[in-house]
Amino acid sequence: MDRLAVTFDKSRTAFAPRETVYGTIRWNLDASPRHLELSLFWYTTGKGTRDVGVVQTQRLDKPGAHGTKDFSFTLPESPYSFSGRLISLIWALELTSSPGSEIARQEITVSPTGREVILDTPR
Amino acid sequence: MKAKDNPFAVERVHAIRYRLQNTTFERLLVRLHDMNYRGAIVGPEGSGKTTLLEDLRQRLEQEGFKTRLIFVNDTCPLDTPACRRLLAEMTRDQIVLLDGADLIRRSDWAIMKRYTITHAYGVVITAHHPGRLPTLLECTTSPELLREIVAELLPQGHPIPAELLDSLYQRHQGNLRACLRELYDLYARNDHI
Repeated sequence: MDRLAVTFDKSRTAFAPRETVYGTIRWNLDASPRHLELSLFWYTTGKGTRDVGVVQTQRLDKPGAHGTKDFSFTLPESPYSFSGRLISLIWALELTSSPGSEIARQEITVSPTGREVILDTPR
Repeated sequence: MKAKDNPFAVERVHAIRYRLQNTTFERLLVRLHDMNYRGAIVGPEGSGKTTLLEDLRQRLEQEGFKTRLIFVNDTCPLDTPACRRLLAEMTRDQIVLLDGADLIRRSDWAIMKRYTITHAYGVVITAHHPGRLPTLLECTTSPELLREIVAELLPQGHPIPAELLDSLYQRHQGNLRACLRELYDLYARNDHI
């Protein structure tokens, strides 16, 4: 088992804007961290400077060395997941423990169609 | 190719850390100590100065030092009022890491250089040219280094011809950042080279 894990109900990874994302976090560490933090955020990647927007964070203090907990996040209206040649916008949930450098990240797609929007660049 | 799949996307490039040549971080820290924690990382554009400064910060913090990293660039200039604010906020236990010291006006730098002797634990700058502080390390690049970095970024089994990399290196006069940006564009235009 991974030391930190994020899973979604019904293994879904595509959601519509304003939909609520349900899932579970699992942790199996050597010692109890001070806290676990689960963040819903988006970031851009591509050629230019990276942009990040943290939408919501849930914190679990003194969670013990191992355990599970259900979570839910309501997605905002925008931005949608998209990709072009120069920039992609990616949504993700990330679970981190502190202190420590453990990270578990799961990417999701946020768009009305359930698929990322493709920006068509003319050649 | 989608930006997120491009092997030369910015966060993948940023994940490549500085490769010290002919020295180690331990030796670099000893040298910095011997220089009273006042030194310059010198090198041309795209030679890894900022990357090295970030890596040095991490090492210094691991050693228990407090650091403050300041980026000076065209979009984030350090003009005289900003320089004065920075000096006012400085604490004696901090090592100030200043990226882009060339862009600070000479008169402001003269004040900062003097002030940090007594009001900071140390100051490490990056600069294109030597002279603002004694040189801690000179960053250099080579065609071999470009090849190594590209090999690390590319998926296995999709090499880029060495001649192409060498010609990129020559054209950009050793600026690895510019080489990697051009490779991003090449991959963005084609699914593979």
